[in-house]
Amino acid sequence: MADHHVFAVGATMAGHYGAAESTGITLAETNFAAAWNVQASARAPHVASAARALFGLSLPAVPNTTSRDGALTALWIGPASWLLIATDASALADFETKRDALAAAGGALFDVSAGRVGWTIAGPEAATVLAKGCPLDFHPRAFGAGMCAQSLFGRMNALFYRRGQLSADSTDPSLQQSLQFTMLVARSFERDAWRLLCVSAAQYGYDVLYPRPF
Amino acid sequence: MQRCRLPAGGVVERSQPLPFEFDGAGYEGYAGDTLASALLANGVHLVARSFKYHRPRGILCAGADEPNALVQLGRGARSEPNVRATTQELYAGLWASSQNRWPSLSFDIGAINDAMSRLIPAGFYYKTFMWPPTPKWWLRYEHFIRRAAGMGVTASLPDPDSYEHQYAHCDVLVIGAGPAGLAAARAAAQAGARVILCDENPTLGGSLYGGAATIDGGSASAWLEATTRELVDADVTLLSRTTAFGCYDGNLVGLIERVAEHARVTTATRSSDSAAQLAPVSSWMPRERLWKVRARSVVLATGAHERGIAYANNDLPGTMLAGALRTYIQRYAVRPGTRAVVFANNDQAYATAFALQGAGIEVAAIVDPRCGAALDGVLPLAARERLIPILARSVVTGAHGKLHVTAVDVSPLAGGVVSRIECDLVALSGGWNPAVHLFSQARGRLRYDEALASFVPDHCPVPMTVAGAANGSTDLAKALGEGHTAGLAAARAAGFAPTASLRAPDAAPVASGAPLALWSTPPAVRGAKRFVDWQNDVTVVDVALAAREGYSSVEHLKRYTTLGMGTDQGKISNVVGLALLAGELDRPIASVGTTTFRPPYTPVTLGAFPGHDAGPHVEPSRFSSLHDWHVAHGARFVNAGLWKRPHSYPRTGESPDDAALREARNVRTNVGIVDVSTLGKIELQGRDVAEFLNRVYINRWDTLQVGRCRYGVMLRDDGIVLDDGTTSRLAPSHYLLTTTTVNAARVLQYIESLLQTEWPELDVYTSAVTEQWSAAALAGPRAREVLAQIVDIDVSNAAFPFLAVATCYVRTATGPVPARVFRMSYSGELAYEIHVPADKGRAMWNAASAAGAGAGIMAYGTEAMSTLRIEKGHIVVGAEADGRTTADDLGLGGLVSRAKPCIGSRLSERPALRSSDRWQLVGLITVGNQPMPRAAKIVADPDRAAPNPMLGHVTSWCRSPNLDAWIALALVENGRARHGETLWAVSPLANVRVRVQVGLPCFIDPKGERLRG
Repeated sequence: MADHHVFAVGATMAGHYGAAESTGITLAETNFAAAWNVQASARAPHVASAARALFGLSLPAVPNTTSRDGALTALWIGPASWLLIATDASALADFETKRDALAAAGGALFDVSAGRVGWTIAGPEAATVLAKGCPLDFHPRAFGAGMCAQSLFGRMNALFYRRGQLSADSTDPSLQQSLQFTMLVARSFERDAWRLLCVSAAQYGYDVLYPRPF
Repeated sequence: MQRCRLPAGGVVERSQPLPFEFDGAGYEGYAGDTLASALLANGVHLVARSFKYHRPRGILCAGADEPNALVQLGRGARSEPNVRATTQELYAGLWASSQNRWPSLSFDIGAINDAMSRLIPAGFYYKTFMWPPTPKWWLRYEHFIRRAAGMGVTASLPDPDSYEHQYAHCDVLVIGAGPAGLAAARAAAQAGARVILCDENPTLGGSLYGGAATIDGGSASAWLEATTRELVDADVTLLSRTTAFGCYDGNLVGLIERVAEHARVTTATRSSDSAAQLAPVSSWMPRERLWKVRARSVVLATGAHERGIAYANNDLPGTMLAGALRTYIQRYAVRPGTRAVVFANNDQAYATAFALQGAGIEVAAIVDPRCGAALDGVLPLAARERLIPILARSVVTGAHGKLHVTAVDVSPLAGGVVSRIECDLVALSGGWNPAVHLFSQARGRLRYDEALASFVPDHCPVPMTVAGAANGSTDLAKALGEGHTAGLAAARAAGFAPTASLRAPDAAPVASGAPLALWSTPPAVRGAKRFVDWQNDVTVVDVALAAREGYSSVEHLKRYTTLGMGTDQGKISNVVGLALLAGELDRPIASVGTTTFRPPYTPVTLGAFPGHDAGPHVEPSRFSSLHDWHVAHGARFVNAGLWKRPHSYPRTGESPDDAALREARNVRTNVGIVDVSTLGKIELQGRDVAEFLNRVYINRWDTLQVGRCRYGVMLRDDGIVLDDGTTSRLAPSHYLLTTTTVNAARVLQYIESLLQTEWPELDVYTSAVTEQWSAAALAGPRAREVLAQIVDIDVSNAAFPFLAVATCYVRTATGPVPARVFRMSYSGELAYEIHVPADKGRAMWNAASAAGAGAGIMAYGTEAMSTLRIEKGHIVVGAEADGRTTADDLGLGGLVSRAKPCIGSRLSERPALRSSDRWQLVGLITVGNQPMPRAAKIVADPDRAAPNPMLGHVTSWCRSPNLDAWIALALVENGRARHGETLWAVSPLANVRVRVQVGLPCFIDPKGERLRG
């Protein structure tokens, strides 16, 4: 992409970028206070209940689903591996005590709060924009509210999450209008992932909004 | 003035005239034209010279199958060769030139090849120019042959346009938006399926335009409009100007969408050389978009390609395929001649005769090899009613003319009297080949249909159905019905229940006579060329020659004669060629078969494949959270895997190498700070971590206390060193393991694989935390005084000795930041690593830099880091541990714990890995301060005649600012026994030889007093 094509596209300041007309795409940095990785194994059947007691949230058992309660979200990211994301530091506090408690139950807890950055991509073309870099199917029929999945964005690993209550889905077109995805990438890929996101959205025109909570 | 434009009709926008240029002459066309239709509207038929014989060529087709009308489009960076004029949409300011001719299109010196054609038969370059075998004359011939045969010229400037990728998923992908495709998309969408409908043309409708067909009781155009509306309402993704070019495993289909090519505007002011710089209409749009569609089910409605008949001089401009001619008249309102002969073996071509009449072109005759009942179809009957002369049981045997056809010879099929008919237009049709390319790419089987005289789809192993002309069903009513059924079936296959009430679009079937298989006609003049493949100048004689010489397989025929190669891949010629081969071999056509169809269906712009991953973004880059600081302080960067790491921080007027020397010296005298965030970091938790580490490292880990770290070495199964790094015990069952920057992913993968497959019983959890932590190393005699200022723990030697680890807070301008501090050293100096959460990296770095200002702190890069570690004799995986070295070779044998086995320990006992002539790590200093040559080999006597036995090689070398000498680490045979010897480091490549003194692989502080002090 020649540089004069992306003049200003890629900047992080709030404002309108790309094509003058807008189809309503918004990009906003996602803020969260902490992110912990809970792991368990088949030999440690009590980790799930220990985690529920520690965090007040059930870890989702179904692959690529999430559970959410207030400031805390649990995302299934692998067999017996979950990512807890808190928008409020108090929801994930006192790491060492909780690590030791989970260790006692046979599991493990890792603090990865600063390891990822993310953005919320919303608007009717949100799925189209993500699908320029990611081979996942983001249609509401395939990627329901409350789902998460890991794949690539460009050549970078990325974790995708669609906010909302898990439901059987619907074909309601108004739902598609309000599609909202969050994409997390490793911090070192922040620049290139943001650039690809902006370059992909520029043809539709997009607005960068102020950061918002996960 | 478009002198050959009809006064009315067609889809062109007469209100939008578009100026363009071809071969230096200015013309005008209309919006909606292709370059080919605009040229024809201006009376330009001669557009190219042929590949081998440089014969004059005109426009033969009206679509992607065109073999002749290839042009060079645009100038400068956007210049593109071999663009098919028949698919290139016209835009204002389009600039094109003909190819493969000199000095001009109408007078081409290369046409001498035509006269000399007896000397250059098929495969001539395989025979003639192989002789004499030495010297290799072919290398000289090739140069001239390639120039003589060349097509267009590629642009040598970087492509200024952008391209993007688009992944998509659907239940039903319908390829081709003609009547069959539209009916299929409509049926599938009404059933609730997610449908994508694509078509290579700018508009939907395929063969529906211009025709007089009736669908559902109304006009075809009314049906097209209503159906398009239905599809939009049903949320079908409609992609025009989009070619499905490849079908891959699991119904993954590649599409190329031409987003902006048709709508270029002049961005530059009309200065002399910039007028050609035409940019896409919106700078935010990519020029092309590469779609990767994953479809549960595919409906192919790709239509059919008309084929030719080989008669003498069938390549003269003015000769066009009958369907294409009808397209130019009805779609583009062009009048390409005044008197036409139609030569066809099928009913469909009769519609062209009617179109010709409608355009005021006289139809001199329809020459048809058929007779009797075969001519009783609806269209031949209508031709008789219109009093068009039909010459039944007759064929065209040759054409006359120099740069344009002026007459054709007609004779009875059985031979006999030849009569000449004057004409300036020949409408040619040898029947229709279903476009089975994608079907065949998907491993679909083809079947030869005698009645249709063509190969049709038979069976496909993947969910893919074929409808309409692509299935051999050229009748509109049948195509609509097949499309409808295919759409319903595809939706059902994807789990949808179609509405019972949806009826197939209704049209009246047209009775037609069967075509008669006819591939060539006998030449009226001996030696006249009868072309099978226009693009590659392959004639009937060439096919016969190949058969005579034993090339009886179609694949061999293709390679030997070049039949079916090139940009058109034989879309109109392949079947004719293999039918002629079958005739030569006296075998049935079905047993000869077709060549393999491979992607792409039509040429795809290379730039579309990388998409956005081009130029500096060919790979993603990884940046430390301290990157902006490095940039602001003048860092030069170097790639380490995907990471960008500071090489050094040159000051004004300073070279990067000098900067590195300054930085390295400062570490030994004051204190330096280096960004080590990129080191691989893996956390391990669980009851069995110590046991696991015992198994993967050569040294012992169950003795490591909380708050301590240790250097470890991992072996491969075969006893060779895999990686090294440190592991710290943060809590009783919580460890942090570091790896080299570029090995991080590999080591994590290795650890996870061991835990999942070898030792699932171990209670060990892993998490990659490289991205979680920003890390800086403080190194130098004054490191402690800097660290003490910013942390809240006692870092005295007694409280925080060498290899201690602690968690603490770092005081920063934005408040205290939780940190892990490690006392470890890579440089050999008193040194610490400080790890803080990556979002606090900059705050920590600033705090350390500020605290060190009084101590002479300087940032240093990877080059100084490398110099320091060479001085200290620390190994690097990749340089010293090069996949051939054991721990003992590297002087790390002392780390091996005898108390327990580990991966690789058993095989490291092999005699060959313990023999005394192993290459061992040593240090070298050049004698007389001579520069160390690059990548030097070690020999005892540089003057010895070859082969000179090699005693080893240099693995790392540098100018040491602290020793003021050239030093190196090297692997040398039995090196530890050679300390004190003088050997030679030689570089035969640079023709350099230097005397070197062998010694300990440690030049600074061998006792380690600095790092423990």
